[in-house]
Amino acid sequence: MIWEVFRQEKSGDYHKHCGNVHAPDREMALLFAEVQHGRRKPTNSLWVTPQKEIGEVDTEDTAFGGTTDKSYRWAMTYNFEAAASEVEESESEQATADRERKAQIEGGS
Amino acid sequence: MDIEEVKQRAGPREFSPKDEMPEEYRKAATRMIQFHANSEIMGAYLEKPFIRQAPSLDRKLAFSAKVQDEIGHGQLLYRAAESLGIKTRDEMLDELAEGKGKFLNCFHYPMESYVETPMIAFFVDGAAMRRQATLKSTSWEPYAHAMDKVCFEEGFHVKHGEAILYELMTGSKKEQEMTQEAFEKWWPRIIQFFGPTNEKSTHHGFASEVGLKQMSNDDLRTAFLNAYIPKAEKYGLEIPDEPRISKNDDGTYEVVEEDLDWDEFFTIAKNDYEPGVGQINGRKAAQDAVEWVRESLDSHENRLYGSSQPQAAD
Repeated sequence: MIWEVFRQEKSGDYHKHCGNVHAPDREMALLFAEVQHGRRKPTNSLWVTPQKEIGEVDTEDTAFGGTTDKSYRWAMTYNFEAAASEVEESESEQATADRERKAQIEGGS
Repeated sequence: MDIEEVKQRAGPREFSPKDEMPEEYRKAATRMIQFHANSEIMGAYLEKPFIRQAPSLDRKLAFSAKVQDEIGHGQLLYRAAESLGIKTRDEMLDELAEGKGKFLNCFHYPMESYVETPMIAFFVDGAAMRRQATLKSTSWEPYAHAMDKVCFEEGFHVKHGEAILYELMTGSKKEQEMTQEAFEKWWPRIIQFFGPTNEKSTHHGFASEVGLKQMSNDDLRTAFLNAYIPKAEKYGLEIPDEPRISKNDDGTYEVVEEDLDWDEFFTIAKNDYEPGVGQINGRKAAQDAVEWVRESLDSHENRLYGSSQPQAAD
């Protein structure tokens, strides 16, 4: 049986997919994940889940974020000086995400 | 997807188990990744005796960690190969045990003495890492993912090998002579690591057209020689007169192929080279010895889930 492995680098981080292992049950899947994926890179926690249990939707199935112009939901659209540093930070995160998303759409299939 | 579309789209990490890949691609990728996985396993077995034979505790620990790493790389790669749906891990391990699985030429030669270890750990691993770095942008995504982790760990292996070489070449006169002797024995094999020149390589064309292979054997050999000849000389090793190697004006190298033993190379490629058969059988014995572990894991899994086989649609 194949188990997908997710590694969390430090407490509070997200668990990110890092590979998969063969194992007959959950306990051994955790043990094998520990040996194969938790030895060198910083690891605070590992998750395993049977591969069959993973559901997926991807860009072939759907257009993430829709296809209509949704510029109204981006902070960059509103041309005022940010009222506070946390607003500015949020806007900068949105600008980065928007850039990456556009690059993905242009560069993608 | 048909082969034409595969060739058109071929790019780094372009294809994954979600794509319907033509059988020709899946077979070529399986052949390549299985070869790579087998080589990791056979390389680990080659170095395993030196966990005991290494002269210091530090070296023993490092060899032990490295052998563990290589076995782990084998596991990652068998997973990447399995995801193509052609062969299961069990089938590939059995093929290796039965002498049908192919692997790198250098791992068919036994290592008899500690002074030989840097030939594998520095030069062969260095050559392997050169190739693996280019495979981070192979078109089969699970293969590229495995390379991320393999290359992350491999840096330590090559540095460790270099440290042993340095230690031996700054040791006693006797140590230096023995190391030079080992180098002369291994050098032609290391040059052959990259296989025959392009015209003679049967699988290169297709593998490179579909983005599996990223760099030709000749380019890899040149990159390797550029980096490792100066290193060898720096530690006081003399490059053997044969095979004759000359540097072109454009920085590439010309290796005189007649100076290399291609009969031996192709005997090895068929798993018929006598010392190599011993290496294969040695690993088979180890696999047989732990058959009961696999059996008990499988029957445990059967009890829990009804089957131990990877999903057909995997």
